[in-house]
Amino acid sequence: MKTCFSIKNLNLYYGEKQALKNINMEILENNVTAFIGPSGCGKSTFIRCLNRMNDLIEDCKVEGEVIKDGQNIYSSKQDIVDLRTRVGMVFQKPNPFPMSIYDNIAYGPRCQGLKDRKKLDEIVITSLKQVALYDEVADRLHESAMGLSGGQQQRLCIARCIAMSPEVILMDEPTSALDPISTSKIEDLVLELKKDYTIVIVTHNMQQAARISDYTAFFLLGEVIEMDKTDKIFSTPSDKRTENYITGRFG
Amino acid sequence: MLIDKKRVKRNKSLDKFFHGFFMAMAILSASFIVIIVLFVFTKGISPFLPGYEYGQVNLFDFLTGSTYRQDQGVYGVGFIIINTLVCSFLALLISFPISILTALFIAKVAPKKLGNTMQSIVELLASVPSVVYGVFASGVITVGVRMIAESLGISTFGGSSMLAVIILLAIMIFPTLTSMATTAIRAVDKDLEQASLALGATKTQTNFKIVLTAAKSGIFAGAILGLGRAFGEATAVAMVAGNKLFGPTFNPFDITRTLTSTMLVGLKETTGLDYDIRFSVGLVLIAVIFFSNFILNMVKKRIGRNL
Repeated sequence: MKTCFSIKNLNLYYGEKQALKNINMEILENNVTAFIGPSGCGKSTFIRCLNRMNDLIEDCKVEGEVIKDGQNIYSSKQDIVDLRTRVGMVFQKPNPFPMSIYDNIAYGPRCQGLKDRKKLDEIVITSLKQVALYDEVADRLHESAMGLSGGQQQRLCIARCIAMSPEVILMDEPTSALDPISTSKIEDLVLELKKDYTIVIVTHNMQQAARISDYTAFFLLGEVIEMDKTDKIFSTPSDKRTENYITGRFG
Repeated sequence: MLIDKKRVKRNKSLDKFFHGFFMAMAILSASFIVIIVLFVFTKGISPFLPGYEYGQVNLFDFLTGSTYRQDQGVYGVGFIIINTLVCSFLALLISFPISILTALFIAKVAPKKLGNTMQSIVELLASVPSVVYGVFASGVITVGVRMIAESLGISTFGGSSMLAVIILLAIMIFPTLTSMATTAIRAVDKDLEQASLALGATKTQTNFKIVLTAAKSGIFAGAILGLGRAFGEATAVAMVAGNKLFGPTFNPFDITRTLTSTMLVGLKETTGLDYDIRFSVGLVLIAVIFFSNFILNMVKKRIGRNL
């Protein structure tokens, strides 16, 4: 199986404080990789390293390498816009833009200069179909996206991401603001999407990681304690701390 | 015992007292508005009533007239209403884009320190008294206007002109527009910006397509406030308007007359009808502001529908 991201000796500092310590990891293509760990362990910070969203935070410093397609994305040659079109992201809180459903999905392609109405229509419809939202909104594509329910909004955000046809979708706790039914819809969607995309997901919910991921990494205090096949992590973890966490003894 | 019954009772009566006290204050301040409006209204309506001591004025002629001459006793404010609307809207048209771009710079583009300094400057501008703007306008703007006019071979009344009024008002409403827009832009959810950037949009695309879209309601509220200021500004406007006797004025280099300058100029040196009619002009001004606010609010609702 091909490697999508290869992370080497990654350290990240917020000012003086070190938030990620010497992380080494391989993320495989067309797999779901889950990051679990207690609050403040650095899993969200880490996922944001993969599309350089941490660049937006002042005095955030990254050392080490994140290699994608043979190139370190932190090298000065990397075009950030190009990286982010290939590595999409879905956030914790559904955050549709205050515009119509159609415009939300067409936003990314339009920013890349696509104006052809027919092509945009096609992208919007296929993206919505891929997240199983099309049937629910087909008759109100040009109405505000703010009128959708939370779960629909989050699926819209995933569709918006897919519209860019990225290689990777990063999901930062995508279901933590949703009810159980919407959550299970998103989980089904993730399993469906991994055929075409590489998915990296941060989750607070260990059952979720167990249900949908192929690989799981356990983070603690800015370090990766253990990363392995999900079955193995949840049945026979090799580190005592992992076992304590997944059996609910702390966290 | 944790709950002291006496204390509970005292708290209750204290609560009642303050409830009444706040109510009294609210009524007092509300009654000021009522008193002012009633006073202006009774005084302003009096020239149009039969039996008015200086000779009844025809309301229709007053509202549609295109001449305002106190020496002939002709009072028509139709053209003045048009002048006021034209000057205020043109001032808004000039100031609006400049202030939005300034606000975007302050809130999003500039480094933090520079942004904060700029914001303080804008706030300082808002607190400059209007008479100071007035002397600036009559000393600088009119000179500039006169120079432009002369280079085009047009003679002016010493630079006092509609153009000078528009430029002056554009400057005066700039701080209001900018600080409202800055606040609105700062209030835009950071998540939206992140989502846009994560989709591969550049910072500029994000600022124009997402931040401004999300902030448009607040920006528009600022425009309404600014327009209110433009309508209501008297002192500074009266210093450069020139108070033309007829109109309306559409030539930017010609002198003009606004509702406020009509009310203000010579107020203390006059009596009788010429004095009373100024209250009527005030009523017209209130009505104009009321109606334009009403229309702008409808537009605002339309624009903000997607939010």
